Amino acid sequence: MRRLFRLSLALLAFGLLATLSRAQSQGPEGSKIRIEGAWARRAPMLKDEAKGGPTAGSGNGAVYLTIVNSGSAADDLVAASTDAARTVELHESYEESGMMMMRPAAKLGIPAGAKLELKPGAYHIMLLDLKRDLKVDQVINLTLVFKKAGQIPLQAKVK
Amino acid sequence: MACHRLVAFLLVLGFAFPASSAQGPEFKGGVFDPPRAAPDFALKGSDGSDLRISKYRGKVVALGFGYTFSPDVCPTTLADLAQARKKLGAAGKHLQVVYVTVDPERDTPERLRAYLDVFDKTFVGATGTPGQLAQVRKAYGISVAKQVFEGSSAAYLLHHSSFVYLIDRAGNLRMLSPFGRSVGDIIHDVKMLLKE
Repeated sequence: MRRLFRLSLALLAFGLLATLSRAQSQGPEGSKIRIEGAWARRAPMLKDEAKGGPTAGSGNGAVYLTIVNSGSAADDLVAASTDAARTVELHESYEESGMMMMRPAAKLGIPAGAKLELKPGAYHIMLLDLKRDLKVDQVINLTLVFKKAGQIPLQAKVK
Repeated sequence: MACHRLVAFLLVLGFAFPASSAQGPEFKGGVFDPPRAAPDFALKGSDGSDLRISKYRGKVVALGFGYTFSPDVCPTTLADLAQARKKLGAAGKHLQVVYVTVDPERDTPERLRAYLDVFDKTFVGATGTPGQLAQVRKAYGISVAKQVFEGSSAAYLLHHSSFVYLIDRAGNLRMLSPFGRSVGDIIHDVKMLLKE
């Protein structure tokens, strides 16, 4: 009996933990989109805009993460925003003819039951015009916007 | 097109890809066989110096090309090189990273300095006039293409060759390290060159 009580306590704790960790990066009720392993690359805010020319901006950064779609319908990541940069765009790096290329992506599709990994040299969330330095161990706040799942807030640690 | 140019350039230099290399199987990167003198250049260093690659004779040099506007590929390369240098411990002081901009329009020496400092304060950036930089790229077989994208707030993005050259202590081009190699592989090859 006592053992059963302990077991149910453990199960309860586990359930609570699972709920908490899901809540950190899961969308609205019923959404099947989950974000895992978000991190941002360290990057400096570059102040010398005037010296760097009109198009130089104040430095850029990148955020990487994995999007897990456990639902039965596909979804699209269509936008993102952060408190750390003035503009956020979805971008893709890819290799072509021996060169590393980069282009903006209007949306990133995640098929039903699939994962999409954003990683160096591939899809990434580009932060343009940083408002501050992204220093190692700091945390930045982001909001991802999905076509179906809506807004998902999350945090990314700077590495 | 760019790929053919690179391959032709590498063949002229006597570059051997790892699989076909008879003499340097112990290296993880592609080797130059026989080694060729690294083309020298005179650019403006982010440390305020006149930067010549020949001034680092006696050190192993990792020579890369990129730009500070880049959020993904360039920082990844620089973070990997910084980690490699750190993991080399005391031997790390014999590795010099030189980073030549492909974007003189935006990259001033000050901007390069601030950017590289985030990764490793010993890294040196280099810039020059568009003409000078074009010559350096030609000597090293580096391609750059500028592209403006509608729907992006970036004025323009640059596509560029993203491999890193390793130059030995005698000033010879020895290896080509493509983007995405593991830090362990980089350390392995730098150690081999440091032992010579």
